[in-house]
Amino acid sequence: MMQQNLIPTLDPNPLPAPYWVFKLLLIVTFFLHILAMNFMLGGGVLALASKWRSSKLTHGNRLFHDIAKKLPSLLPATITIGIAPLLFVQVLYGQFFYTSSILLAWPWFLVLVFLTIAYYGFYYASFQSGKNTARAGNVMLISVILIFVIGFIYTNNLTLSQTPSRWSQKYFASPSGWSLNLSEPTLIPRYLHFMVAAVAMGGLLLVFIALANWKRDRDYARQVLQFGGKAFMYAMMTQLVIGVWFLVSLPRNLLMLFMGDNRLATSLLLVGIAGGLAVIFLMSDALHKENLRMAAFIVPGITVVVMLCMSVMRDILRDAYLNPYFNPGQFVVKTQWAVFPLFLALFIGGVILWLIMLKRYGLFGRARTADTPPSPNH
Amino acid sequence: MNYPVWDVAFGAGLLIAVVSILHVFVSHFAVGGGLFLVLTERKARRNNDTALLNWLKSHTRFFVLVTVVFGVVSGVGIWFTIGLINPMATASLIHIYVWGWAIEWIFFFLEITAALLYLYGWDKLEPRLHMWYGWIYFIAAYISLVVINGIITFMLTPGSWIRNHQFWRGFFNPTYFPSVVLRTAIALALAGIYALITASVQKDSALKARIVRWSALWIVPSLAVMPLIGWWYIRRVPADIWANARGAMPTGSLFATLAVVFLAVTFALALLALLRPGRIHLAFSLLVAVVALGTMGSFEFVREAIRKPYVIQGYLYSNSLYAKQMPGDGGFTTDEVSNAGVLKSAKWIHIRDLTPQNQVIVGHEIFRVECQSCHTQNAYRGIKELIVSRQWNQNKIQAMLGGLEFMHNGVMPPFSGTDPERAALAAYLSSLQPIPANAVAATDGKTVFAQNCSMCHQVTAADPLFKNLPQDPNAAADALRDLTALFPLMPDIKLSDQQRPALVQWINSQRSGILRSANEPAATQGEN
Repeated sequence: MMQQNLIPTLDPNPLPAPYWVFKLLLIVTFFLHILAMNFMLGGGVLALASKWRSSKLTHGNRLFHDIAKKLPSLLPATITIGIAPLLFVQVLYGQFFYTSSILLAWPWFLVLVFLTIAYYGFYYASFQSGKNTARAGNVMLISVILIFVIGFIYTNNLTLSQTPSRWSQKYFASPSGWSLNLSEPTLIPRYLHFMVAAVAMGGLLLVFIALANWKRDRDYARQVLQFGGKAFMYAMMTQLVIGVWFLVSLPRNLLMLFMGDNRLATSLLLVGIAGGLAVIFLMSDALHKENLRMAAFIVPGITVVVMLCMSVMRDILRDAYLNPYFNPGQFVVKTQWAVFPLFLALFIGGVILWLIMLKRYGLFGRARTADTPPSPNH
Repeated sequence: MNYPVWDVAFGAGLLIAVVSILHVFVSHFAVGGGLFLVLTERKARRNNDTALLNWLKSHTRFFVLVTVVFGVVSGVGIWFTIGLINPMATASLIHIYVWGWAIEWIFFFLEITAALLYLYGWDKLEPRLHMWYGWIYFIAAYISLVVINGIITFMLTPGSWIRNHQFWRGFFNPTYFPSVVLRTAIALALAGIYALITASVQKDSALKARIVRWSALWIVPSLAVMPLIGWWYIRRVPADIWANARGAMPTGSLFATLAVVFLAVTFALALLALLRPGRIHLAFSLLVAVVALGTMGSFEFVREAIRKPYVIQGYLYSNSLYAKQMPGDGGFTTDEVSNAGVLKSAKWIHIRDLTPQNQVIVGHEIFRVECQSCHTQNAYRGIKELIVSRQWNQNKIQAMLGGLEFMHNGVMPPFSGTDPERAALAAYLSSLQPIPANAVAATDGKTVFAQNCSMCHQVTAADPLFKNLPQDPNAAADALRDLTALFPLMPDIKLSDQQRPALVQWINSQRSGILRSANEPAATQGEN
């Protein structure tokens, strides 16, 4: 059967704003979602690592506790921010996204179950981390494993959504919703590329914890800085290898996009690699010299730029995969002027209010507190 | 037909129902509970009630664990589930209301942030600032309800959107305001109902009594005004749709009754809690919560059921076919599919040719793409049981499929497809448990009516069967010989020489009763 014929027809309702508006929102909110996810998952991994290495890390259990307290906020941040790209991907790519989701419907549905368990696990670990570290660690391990599984399901779904040529064989073999995309050559490197990035960002989370404790408890902060900084470096080095693996696993015509065929994609890749290399050396230097400014501001700044490049590259790659089946010109656009400006105004207002909320709480400095001194660790 | 179909043996519709009902039971608590938190905090601080304040602190943790964890994940869960089971409707709601969802997301994000800061701020912030977060939480949560309400009510009563496709016309639709008020009352009641749970585990009975009395102030008035709001809501639902909850449709009517019963029981239990407020037990508070869940679930079931055969009233059928042709419909309207045929229209089927040999297999494919969004074979809304209980053989199934849209006050979309495809679907349905064509058919009038007429005809004075069929038994039995001659849209089924007089006799025996009740309108209205 012709693959083209299987692609579901677009929803007949017009796009309520120009294509690029949704594209921009999709990329930006996806980037923010991934940022939160990285801190959450990477934080979880390094919390466990710090507990397991507590023979070498004298402050291992304390660090475990400090991270464990943050996870119940980082996970909802990941989920709530993630709703936006989930919305916008449906606006632009619904016909691909729904179809692939249906093919692996049960794993996709199980994401919800795993997420709920992982989430309660994080809460449990945060409540118990100061009391029963062993049990808190075991529960957190389960949560972290479940998050890894969720990531794997996501990679399966998203890769399947951009390879419609696989759909018919999978669906007609079994419509029961258990078709993972295991035969996809990019599946494993792509998955690892996301997961190892999380460990690197978890390292940066530790650098921030070090920063917050720098004045109060230098000994602890120093250890956390070294531990987090090294985790970041090693993960970034691994990331360069996996990135190359991911790149060469791409079909040749898509690989060539990043090798000169598409100028933007190629430039972004070069910036990404250069940035990736730079942060490894800068972090190494910062750890050696205990340069906190470098480790906590400049390295994260460059890393964020690298991540933005990667997010745009990911989008270019998706559109290249879907090129035979998808053309932005096919959308009928009828901007809803009666509501789109309202969204923009509320969005700006929302961001401002959100920042005020964090500021008044003391996350950027001193809060108006009742009786206890402020703790930037919250 | 546009998307692949996920085979869920126990019923995909059931999966949506479970996820959604659990979610709304928590999400309404998330709204009302927010107001409860700030007002209780204010009350406790004004009265210098440290015990109440300490309880509220632990209640906040419970609140966050229920709403921010389960509420949030199950909310995303609805998106996941409807996308899997009804992608066409999901795509429509996304494209029509993306800015609505996006606005809702802004407030949702503020809400979650405020909830966490409120929780962690208990020991950290000065009271006024702490309560500031509480207010932001509640206001953001309430706005998110107000926004989603527009989209949910749009599905039931899209109003003039159907003609003009304007965002705000569909948003502020006929049931928008009664629904907002109703959901506000539900949210306030649930705030008190959930508070009973954490109150019931308190050891200090004086404190427990204070919380229970305070919670009752949230529950009792909210429940008491609900019938009034319900009445307003019902008045804004078109009468022919509401008839589905008034006997015309079994599911809608059952859940409408259940909603009323559960509501009354919740109310009674709340009053009962006030008898000995200092001694309520955890089991009792959980019972109140379960009954309230029953009320909420029944209400949502009614709303979903009376909307049938549509997902979006007048626009998109439950089986993902559009009601009317429009540009870009992809041929997925009932008319177009009937003209072109399912096998030519559907994307996700692998057999394109119908032969006498593959009738049953093709019929199964048609069932999957056209019926399975609501029906299963043997489980939720199992089709086999319906056919067996009515003793329909293949010919009768085929005839009945021609009039699906008339059954149970039009709860089903019409069959869309060619005549040979209808025959194939009948062959498949019949294969589930074949009733031989020569099987001995029931000959008592009541059963004949139940098996052959009750899908479309109701025992009412207004029903054409009871109104127009000649009184004279012989003339009536004669008229029933050729149903399509009687009325062209009737299914072409043949009742036997024994069945027809028996049916007529039974119909005549019912007539006197229904005429009497028709003359006493007050009696039927009072059943509300």
